[in-house]
Amino acid sequence: MQLKGLRSTGVSFLAVPKTLRSIRKILIANRGEIALRILRACRELGIVTVAVYSDADRAALHVLEADEAYRLGPAPATESYLCGDLILDIARRSGAQAIHPGYGFLSENAGFAEACEHAEIKFIGPPASAMRALGSKTRARQAADAANMPRTPGSVKGLASLDEGYSVAAEIGYPVMLKAAAGGGGKGMRAVFSKDELCAAFAAAASEAERAFGSSEVYLEKLIERPRHIEIQVLADEHGNCVSLGERECSVQRRHQKVIEEAPSAIVDEEMRRHMGEAAVRLAKSAGYTNAGTVEFLVDDARNFYFLEMNTRLQVEHPVTELVTGLDLVHLQIRIAQGEPLSFAQEDIRLRGHAIECRVYAEDPDNGFFPSPGKITRLLQPGGPGIREDSGIYEGWVVPLDYDPMLSKLIAFAPTREAAIARLRRALDEYVIGGIRSNLGLFRRILDEDDFRAARIDTGYLDRLLSANTPLAETPSCGDIALIAAAIFESSRPKNGNGSAVEANADFSGWKQAGRREGLGA
Amino acid sequence: MKLQIEIEGELRQVELTQNEGGRYQASVDGAPAFDVEAQVLRPGVLSLNTGGRAYRCVLEESAEGVAIHLGGKRSLYRVDDPRSLKSRLRRHAGDDGPKPVTAPMPGRVVRVLAKVGDMVKAHQGVVVIEAMKMQNELKSPKAGKVVQMRAEPGSTVAAGDVLVVVE
Repeated sequence: MQLKGLRSTGVSFLAVPKTLRSIRKILIANRGEIALRILRACRELGIVTVAVYSDADRAALHVLEADEAYRLGPAPATESYLCGDLILDIARRSGAQAIHPGYGFLSENAGFAEACEHAEIKFIGPPASAMRALGSKTRARQAADAANMPRTPGSVKGLASLDEGYSVAAEIGYPVMLKAAAGGGGKGMRAVFSKDELCAAFAAAASEAERAFGSSEVYLEKLIERPRHIEIQVLADEHGNCVSLGERECSVQRRHQKVIEEAPSAIVDEEMRRHMGEAAVRLAKSAGYTNAGTVEFLVDDARNFYFLEMNTRLQVEHPVTELVTGLDLVHLQIRIAQGEPLSFAQEDIRLRGHAIECRVYAEDPDNGFFPSPGKITRLLQPGGPGIREDSGIYEGWVVPLDYDPMLSKLIAFAPTREAAIARLRRALDEYVIGGIRSNLGLFRRILDEDDFRAARIDTGYLDRLLSANTPLAETPSCGDIALIAAAIFESSRPKNGNGSAVEANADFSGWKQAGRREGLGA
Repeated sequence: MKLQIEIEGELRQVELTQNEGGRYQASVDGAPAFDVEAQVLRPGVLSLNTGGRAYRCVLEESAEGVAIHLGGKRSLYRVDDPRSLKSRLRRHAGDDGPKPVTAPMPGRVVRVLAKVGDMVKAHQGVVVIEAMKMQNELKSPKAGKVVQMRAEPGSTVAAGDVLVVVE
């Protein structure tokens, strides 16, 4: 294939006319905001886009905006977005030279990356070999040792038995953490504070890991108390160049899921950034890594950092890095995939300003974070200086119940952390998502909270805030105004037919039932 | 025009007199009337000016009811209708009588944890539904006997659907 031949010629491709080595069509194997994000980058680079969709996503924004769109199958991801064979087949038939996997779904599936390699369709990401070397947490810990990176004390292989667990724990000292080697999202993870708890925790973690990941391999590491989660973005081309693009702090998490991310971290100075960046680059190079990736660290209260894992894909929170570096990571991913060398070196990278991102979810923070799929009946999106919204939604769209609940990412950029918080807070008040519940109110609460404002955060911060059950700081009531607005809306409604106020409030009204039907997307 | 509106759990009264050009006189709960100028910018979005202050009010309609968004705050309201008020009071009177377990969101039934005739405790899980990759256990609102089980594993449910009735 032309593409492969060109890549394998290495540096000499500089003599080849640009049009010959460029990717002209990309299949985006994802949905939601990230599919839109990638699609926009392709447009900017003059690349034709191919969308794929499940039956639940026929009317999704990524399908409407793409140049070409092909149906994958029924709504469940296992019958649509996870079907690598179908996706490769569509790529072949549509003449796409590359596949961008986004995040989630097939993005970290080494088998799929390998199938792409065999089909001579460029997978925009690292080679399958690098994914395998870093994919499991135990293998990644071995790679970290080989790259001479600090990591938490503990085992680098799955525990063969409970007895081995006792001896490792005795060696490193309690408290310890049991983790699934194939883990993610907090599944198969147990904190163990004393010897008596280890037996039960070992069994629970192993069975949870078996159910969630199909592998019961668990290992043991020292528990870092109240750690911060700080990660380094790396970018590697196919010519041996690798740079780090500064850190992101993602300590605001709920049940091990990131909620707010920011760059830079308030506790990382130039020297620490350089050390972490160099460690991340060593790991990436030792694994033969290419394209964009993220090396995650835990940081203790003495600012020691410990390798956690490597994410071998573009991250949800990549925009905060883009804002503080001025780089477009998706453009760069595509350029790297075309075989271009990085056009800048480590010393060219300058961080400027502060960026903060909120993950906006269709879930109800006032009601146990219940998911809230359904029809978006009203949408007013924020804008103005320093605000970026990466969104996959529109007014009238029915948010399907089949996928994760992310609606959009709201990102603020300003010269300082304080100004970025104020800007984000301002944008949150402009943002209205109606018809379904969203977690916008949770962000207002966090952004107004003293510890967050002072950057006194760790990975347990949000769970503590939520369980403290302190009465919510009441938003100042605009009582009479809301009431008058309601009265004016009601008085201007047509007296009959759809939308009549009386009908709307009758318990078994037609519109309510219609709303339920629509909410279901039926 | 007089309206009884229940907002944020309080029943209140608004009297509106409409003049020309989007100008109103509004009186709340019998207090002296004041001037309000209002423009509907597009369906559901209202710009409201009064006493030199400007407000953007957004109307939201959902399966839950109708709400006004104002300054980052969401206030559910309903125009009161004496009939529905009475029926509501009747339905919510005490713990006696049958109580429904309703789906708080659209989703799929994953498991059914009780069957008709079972005695359940208050807050005992009766049905598990899944949406957006999360499973949620719905609990019985009271101790009693399951008299209806309308949920079936694999079936799709809408927000507000009655899944179980406990008496």
